[in-house]
Amino acid sequence: MKKTINIPYGSQHIALLEPVRFQFETQNEKIVGVKADIGYVHRGIEKACTSTFEYKQIPSVVARVCGLCAITHSLTYVMAVEQIIDVNVSEKAKYLRMLMVELDRIHSHMLCLSHTAENAGYEALFMQIMADREIIMDIQEAISGNRVQFDFVCIGGVNRDITDEIVKFIIKSLNELQPKIEDIFDMFENNWSLSLKYKGIGAITKENASIYNALGPLARAAGLETDVRAESDYYPYEKIGYKMILEQTGDIYGRNRVRLREILSSIDMIKNILCDIPEGNIIEKVKGKPNGESVARLEAPRGEIFYYLKGVKQAMLDRVRTKTPTFSGIPAMVEIFKGQEYGDVPAILASFDPCMSCTAK
Amino acid sequence: MISAITKAFSNLLKKPYTCNYPVTPVIKPKNYRGLIKFNDEYCIWCDKCEKVCPPNAIIFKQFEDGHKVYNYNPYLCIYCGDCIRACPKTGDALWQCEEKGLPSISKDAPNDDWFILEKEAKQSRENYKAIKAAKKKS
Ligand code: SF4
Ligand code: SF4
Repeated sequence: MKKTINIPYGSQHIALLEPVRFQFETQNEKIVGVKADIGYVHRGIEKACTSTFEYKQIPSVVARVCGLCAITHSLTYVMAVEQIIDVNVSEKAKYLRMLMVELDRIHSHMLCLSHTAENAGYEALFMQIMADREIIMDIQEAISGNRVQFDFVCIGGVNRDITDEIVKFIIKSLNELQPKIEDIFDMFENNWSLSLKYKGIGAITKENASIYNALGPLARAAGLETDVRAESDYYPYEKIGYKMILEQTGDIYGRNRVRLREILSSIDMIKNILCDIPEGNIIEKVKGKPNGESVARLEAPRGEIFYYLKGVKQAMLDRVRTKTPTFSGIPAMVEIFKGQEYGDVPAILASFDPCMSCTAK
Repeated sequence: MISAITKAFSNLLKKPYTCNYPVTPVIKPKNYRGLIKFNDEYCIWCDKCEKVCPPNAIIFKQFEDGHKVYNYNPYLCIYCGDCIRACPKTGDALWQCEEKGLPSISKDAPNDDWFILEKEAKQSRENYKAIKAAKKKS
């Protein structure tokens, strides 16, 4: 019998961005078993939402679950509340919300690509992508007034309108970004030494992706068709030219490709949104207290994010439940690790784009 | 591969991406969400801003004669602007400026003193209510 060695990876580790612990069982560098422990950054946000904050304040609270998905968290929460208290959001507000979600997707995917590069040993590529990512951060700052904590959506619509000046600025910046992304795409595609680190590594089959409940880019890289943008018609995604992006390889290379292609498609979608933002109010009046239950789903950069709310005709909600994409994706991640070399773990992990502050909440 | 190498070398001759903060200031966009400013001349003391504020960064302390004093904690404020939207006198009594909030140092006592004030303010409201109720009775 071969000797099995247990190697802990985390909770503090040089290649980890956020605290999570994996316990790898390895035989001759090959991983045969994995255990994941995710509760290191638990902050009790769900409890705080039902004991400290009133329902109108919660969009600002859940936005702080995670700095990368600030907009998706508050937006999904707001969508769930709007269902309970029956508010119809104007088309214009919906377009502005889509705009922010797609911008969020671009910068989150760029962050993931940069970390995948860094963890595979390409420090300069990491810095280059992070520098280019600033373009998107600047756009978001111009729209919402803050770089990270946008506080842009509110119950009934959005807080700020967009001006012609900002529209021009966005289009100019996106035109600047597009060739940069194409450059990076070319690098990921054709660079021989990058392909050594990415091609065929950390792969999952379509069947396994479906069995282990992979979601977001992780699933789409394996060819599994899952995307809330295609499954729900709350936002008019077909109108702005949404296409599902699929790859078949299921490895790190495939995931990078899905992300890069999604960035390019998001840039196109944003341009379409800006071309036909309808006229109308950006915010509707909200009356009453939530009474009843509701769920809402949205495609965050990492996959489906889900909110369940229960209100009992009080300003404070009875239950707020968040299911984040990384949390749902853990079984698939554990499955992918099995059979891989221990040395590839940092790059594989980064390619999942795990968000621990979302997962532990 | 070759293009990547040429690019890497050409980058050596370019200016850095980063700016020399704080010597060179960062450019902020128009309508940047900064600190909250208050003017008591126009305030109607409706307490709406206090009620909506998610982190309780605005607190009104009430005195026995009924007049209130506005307290604002810039270190607790998340610049969400909810108070501005709730205020019936936006622009005159309460507004958001483009000035960036600074990080606090320990002598600012962003937490401890504020939490004491929070308790005192709560107590002062109750005291005032009690005084009013007593006056009504007599
Ligand atoms: S901006 Fe937000 S956090 Fe700051 S005082 Fe106003 S409501 Fe409170
Ligand atoms: S909401 Fe405006 S008017 Fe009312 S207490 Fe606050 S600052 Fe004064």
